[in-house]
Amino acid sequence: MAETVTIVVNDREYQVAAGANLVDAARSIGDLIPVFCYHPKMDPVGMCRMCLVEMGSIQRDRGSGEVMLDEDGKPQVRWFPTLQTACTTNVYEGLVIRTDTQEVDLARENVLEFLLTSHPLDCPICDKGGECPLQNLTMEHGPGKTRMVFGDKLNLDKHVPLGELVFLDEERCIQCARCVRFQDEIVGDDVLAFHERGRSLQIITNSEPGFDSYFSGNTTDICPVGALTTADFRFGARPWELTDVASIDPWDAAGSNISLSTRLDRDADGRAIVKRVLPRQNEYVNEIWISDKARFGHHFSRSADRLAWPTTGESRATWAEALEDAAGRLREAGEDLAIIAGSGLSNEDLYALQQLAQGLGSSRLGAWPPTHGGADLIAQVGVGQGSNLGALGSGDVVLVIAADLEEEVPLWRLRIKQAGDRGALLLVANSRGTRLDDFAGRQLRYPTGDAAHFLANLQKEDEEIHGRLRDANNLVIVAGAEGLDLAGSRALMQAAARILVETGHVGRPNNGLLSPLPGPNGMGLHYLGFTPENTIGIMAEPPKTLLVAQADLLADDPSAPAWLVEVDNIIELALFQDSLGDRAQVVLPIQSFAERDGSFTSGERRVQRLYRAQGPVGEALPAWQVVARIAEVLGQGRAKASAAAMMLEMSQQVPAFEGCGYRELAWTEKQDPPVGEDLWYGGTALLNRGGLGVQIPAEADRSRVKVAAPALPSRQKVDKGHLLIVPVTRLYNRERAFRATDIVWPRVPAPFALLNPDDAQRLGVDADDTIEIEVADGPAVQVLARHDDSVPAGSLALPRHLTTTAMPLTLSTGRVSKVTVAADARVSET
Amino acid sequence: MRLLLRGRDIPDLHQLSVYQANGGYEALKRALAMQPAEVIDEVKASGLRGRGGAGFPAGVKWSFIPQNEPIKYVAVNADESETGTFKDREIMEDNPHQMIEGALICAWAIQATAVYIYLRGEFWDIGDLLEDCIAEAEAAGFAGKNILGSGWSCPVYTHLGAGAYICGEESAMLSSLEGVLGQPRVRPPFPAQKGGGLYKEATVVNNVETLTNVPWILSNGAAAFRAIGTEQSAGTKVFCVSGHVPRPGNYELPLGTPLRELLVDHAGCDPENIKAILPSGGSGPIVPGTDEVLDTPLSYEAMQDLGTILGSASIIVMDNTVDMTWVASKVTKFFTHESCGKCTPCREGTYWLDKVLDRILAGEGKPEDVQLIDNVAKNMAGTTLCALGDFAANPIIHTISNFPDDFNAHVQPKPEEEKPAASAPRRGRRRRASA
Amino acid sequence: MSLHDPRYKARIASHLAKYPDKRSAVMPLLYIAQEAYGWVSPKGVQEVAEICEMDPTQVKSIAGFYTMYSERTKGRYWLHVCTDLPCALNGAETFYRELQDYLGVEEGGTSEDGLFTVEHVMCLAACDKAPMLQCNFRYMESLDMEKMKAWIEERRAELEAAGQGQGA
Ligand SMILES: Cc1cc2nc3c(=O)[nH]c(=O)nc-3n(C[C@H](O)[C@H](O)[C@H](O)COP(=O)(O)O)c2cc1C
Ligand code: SF4
Ligand code: FES
Repeated sequence: MAETVTIVVNDREYQVAAGANLVDAARSIGDLIPVFCYHPKMDPVGMCRMCLVEMGSIQRDRGSGEVMLDEDGKPQVRWFPTLQTACTTNVYEGLVIRTDTQEVDLARENVLEFLLTSHPLDCPICDKGGECPLQNLTMEHGPGKTRMVFGDKLNLDKHVPLGELVFLDEERCIQCARCVRFQDEIVGDDVLAFHERGRSLQIITNSEPGFDSYFSGNTTDICPVGALTTADFRFGARPWELTDVASIDPWDAAGSNISLSTRLDRDADGRAIVKRVLPRQNEYVNEIWISDKARFGHHFSRSADRLAWPTTGESRATWAEALEDAAGRLREAGEDLAIIAGSGLSNEDLYALQQLAQGLGSSRLGAWPPTHGGADLIAQVGVGQGSNLGALGSGDVVLVIAADLEEEVPLWRLRIKQAGDRGALLLVANSRGTRLDDFAGRQLRYPTGDAAHFLANLQKEDEEIHGRLRDANNLVIVAGAEGLDLAGSRALMQAAARILVETGHVGRPNNGLLSPLPGPNGMGLHYLGFTPENTIGIMAEPPKTLLVAQADLLADDPSAPAWLVEVDNIIELALFQDSLGDRAQVVLPIQSFAERDGSFTSGERRVQRLYRAQGPVGEALPAWQVVARIAEVLGQGRAKASAAAMMLEMSQQVPAFEGCGYRELAWTEKQDPPVGEDLWYGGTALLNRGGLGVQIPAEADRSRVKVAAPALPSRQKVDKGHLLIVPVTRLYNRERAFRATDIVWPRVPAPFALLNPDDAQRLGVDADDTIEIEVADGPAVQVLARHDDSVPAGSLALPRHLTTTAMPLTLSTGRVSKVTVAADARVSET
Repeated sequence: MRLLLRGRDIPDLHQLSVYQANGGYEALKRALAMQPAEVIDEVKASGLRGRGGAGFPAGVKWSFIPQNEPIKYVAVNADESETGTFKDREIMEDNPHQMIEGALICAWAIQATAVYIYLRGEFWDIGDLLEDCIAEAEAAGFAGKNILGSGWSCPVYTHLGAGAYICGEESAMLSSLEGVLGQPRVRPPFPAQKGGGLYKEATVVNNVETLTNVPWILSNGAAAFRAIGTEQSAGTKVFCVSGHVPRPGNYELPLGTPLRELLVDHAGCDPENIKAILPSGGSGPIVPGTDEVLDTPLSYEAMQDLGTILGSASIIVMDNTVDMTWVASKVTKFFTHESCGKCTPCREGTYWLDKVLDRILAGEGKPEDVQLIDNVAKNMAGTTLCALGDFAANPIIHTISNFPDDFNAHVQPKPEEEKPAASAPRRGRRRRASA
Repeated sequence: MSLHDPRYKARIASHLAKYPDKRSAVMPLLYIAQEAYGWVSPKGVQEVAEICEMDPTQVKSIAGFYTMYSERTKGRYWLHVCTDLPCALNGAETFYRELQDYLGVEEGGTSEDGLFTVEHVMCLAACDKAPMLQCNFRYMESLDMEKMKAWIEERRAELEAAGQGQGA
């Protein structure tokens, strides 16, 4: 038990954690001191003055240290002459407060009265109405009537766009600075600030573009009034009409816990649809934050391009026909079947696919996209069970290598930045500069493509850094695949795993390996036998029949058209009508994450549940069900009735999922800070009722593990006149699913590539010139050139998915040339 | 007796040679020959209290500075923005080296690594002058590297504010120096503590006048300083007299000099024609121009007994023609303009008070409006992060209590409009007796 | 004139040298930006942000907090008239009103010839010399309207003579 102290609250003694913030400490014993500016995740600033209490200390004799007693034999208290802010006080032995006196009541009433003098009383049309801290606290503590003459009120702008995503209502802002502090302290994008002073104090942004941060939406959750609202939700619905359904961020490996607020909607024939996405508290995973992509990227689930019914050949089919057709082709294929599964599929879907293949005697299970190797190493030496990036701090080290976490897994970047603030040493290694450099204790550079060599030779080459890793209390290595091909990525993971094992940083919480595996279920793919190495095999030796599930092969892989030609039968399970559908014999519509039950396994190996929030599009079914029904036609046994039943069987059959039944996944506990109970304390982030998930133990958590020395791949040969082409990730891009979120469009850049200025000069390329990049297997792409002197000479960083033309999957080489184009034929953005 | 405004007696005192010819920088030499702790003890013994407003004993403040921190600062408060204050300006214009010397002695006493002089932006010309003086002092070995061969280095820098009264508040001043918004910060940690000062390092913040006393104390001894003034208010004080005064200006007199002597004998006021006095600019409680008030000694303790403060001693005199409602409005406009906006009661309260006072002055007020502003002001007092919230409440509370008729005259309902009061006044804030 | 102009180089460097943190130089640099552009222009904000390694939002925030930075263009002469209590007791309000009338402008306005922008300000620490003002931050003390009119006409004549009476 942590050290405690005794404090006196309203004449009763309590034991509370030593040094805790008084607002938090009082809350832990049930005394809810109202606050506006205080937020449990941020440093106190004592601005709003809502938390005023009577405060004093028990007097002790200077000499003897004995508690001094008054005439009644009670401890003598020395009171402050004025009320004090609880939020700026840390508890200490002998602290005495009163929160139940007339004086305190009056102070609360007064602060509310002051706030309401300029606050508009437009609650009925306010997006925060019904879940508004100001409203709630006014009900509880506020004055009964207003003494401010209406004409004295200040009239301000009510529709100030701070960017495309977040709007400010200046009249509603109560200047608590929560948003400003969040952006500065927690995110490190200090793109909000106050302008002017006194009653003219207003929130502004002057970044280009406005409110330039991937985390901007969180400010709307912690804003204690309806001053900040999202473009998504503004005037969208009233909070009290909404039903919240637990889900998981479908975009990346962080597995952020989210909540889908749904409403029965006229535009959807009166059916439930998702109106907004909010964070759901999971202190292990995302605390109470989510990225803007998680918040705004849900629109694809209602996109008009979604597949609504099965087709066979060119024509619409009934499910029975389509399943029969698919089963026929599979039966015919037998062993000559391969499956490529996307990382957006749930564990249940993947299990069904695995069972289907097994029944047919095939073991060719490929993971898509085949960019990141070494998921098996995460299963071995991934961060220990019970890990929490939020616990890393002084004495600990985080090494991020060959990754651009800001763009790949923004929430990890946020939490790792904060670990740095708490004193952890943050080492950022890459061949070029990334955003994380801004927060790094040390930036490390290596030649493009050399990440695995760099780490494997670290002990020899950089004794000091290796020493820092060795001596760390806790060590987490995040190894990505930027600038590597699949073999290189695997070698890097091995090198990282070996360092962890050799320095004893495995098998315990807050130590081990992570990787920004693409999609929300990269680890599910691994545990169910889908590997990128198999995919490469499938691409090299295509099967007779290929089943593709939620994988956009043609958009991701420029070589796909060539190798797909060799496949006779394609059966596709897809969310969208996409180009692969034109080649597939059978196309089967599946449900999105928002429409179905299921589970994902995060990059930290946490299995977490998704719940069905809205009805399906057309006749779409959950992927597991489609597969199970095909299997049923094939005589592999009856399809399970529910996702829960799938998981139940999986938890018995697949050792990794032992203990992952839906009941266990739905398990929750009281979290600290206790947000969600009321709104004014933590914001609108929701109390977690959907479950905290179960973290699969790493092998190292149970037994000793050994990691073989990495097989370092030979370096890519670069022909004269060619450059190394490094595919990199941009969070906002033109991926199929993300395109449906049109509010973010203005933030998606025109296709571009980053070039070293020396190369650019050699090629005669100015900034913003159009260049053409020709790579071996696939069509040439045209993009705008941008200069970036952190990109090493001889290589070029090429963001994926900014064009709809496929770009190289992994590190390759290519020829780059300047093209002269007519002004009106500039690189188009779509 | 002039310890500070010596420039009035000695022409060209701002020149280093003249200053040195008149004993300049001898005190610094003396200090450097002493242990830092001895310097602090000497200043403590002198009873010198802060001249920036709060009157905190300077030596005691210096003694709070932790000894073992490698980096420490002295920040000189030359923001001088209180309504009616213009003493630091004259000191710096006419006797700048004495202030620099005082700051350096303080820096030696706490073993500071740099001195920053924070000037209000309008004093840029004084900034230029100080830059020249600092350069001269550096060239002569009194500032900068290896001062007087002691091995101790301490550069002196100037920094210009840009028009914000709040940046005179010490923690806001430090934030402003750091390049963040000039708003007061939560204390503790106090500036003198690690974590609370400039760049989070322990920092002494002292007013210009406070520090300018220090060379005199070191040269003449604490006892000589104590011999001037009163028991609890040692030394002289520069009183800034303005308003309805025949001879406005700065007067350096021993603390404890009766107000009457200052206003009548020196400044030439007619004691019969003083309606009210603001003894500490806009921020301290106003007092009526009664005999009792005029006979009060100008000391920290006597002014406190009178229910007001000596503060920065910016004494604004108002004659019998002045409408106190207008004064309340004037001062409220000052604080409305200068509230930094951080605390709810100050930000909203000043705005609200200003609006209601405007209405009252426009003849549109009701009797309840006077109760309202009195109550609003009382609700502001004692609830804010810095003292500006209290300062802003004072002009309302004390003009109303001292000059109720001035307010009533504006809000007397015209007979035909007379109606019963719409609602009972709200409960007032109960003031705690201090413990 | 940009902040990168060589004429500002030494001054900027000397300010940066004063502080352990570049951010602290934001205030002195904003003054230089104001001097360079005539006001704190968006470009000036951007340049200060780059030099001080701050987000432009933070620079804008600082510029907005203080009254001596102007975020809008102004006339050639900025007249900051103190109308605070001690000055007001000595006729500053009347003085200010007459000045406004003479120039034909309202609070914060610029005279038609583009020369004079007037604003009232709080105490400028010259209370014993009321009425007073700062013109382009230079003190002008113990004023009356006669003195002011003469001064204004002198400025106008000066510019007339230089042949650039219009717009500054
Ligand atoms: C709103 C406010 C404004 C202040 N303005 C000034 C000022 O202009 N000059 C000054 O010396 N002190 C000012 N002070 C007092 C300072 O906070 C601080 O107490 C003083 O500089 C300490 O120096 P001293 O101990 O030498 O007086 C102000 C305080 C407040 C609350
Ligand atoms: S009392 Fe006023 S000036 Fe002082 S910190 Fe609070 S809001 Fe700012
Ligand atoms: S001042 Fe304590 S919560 Fe705002």
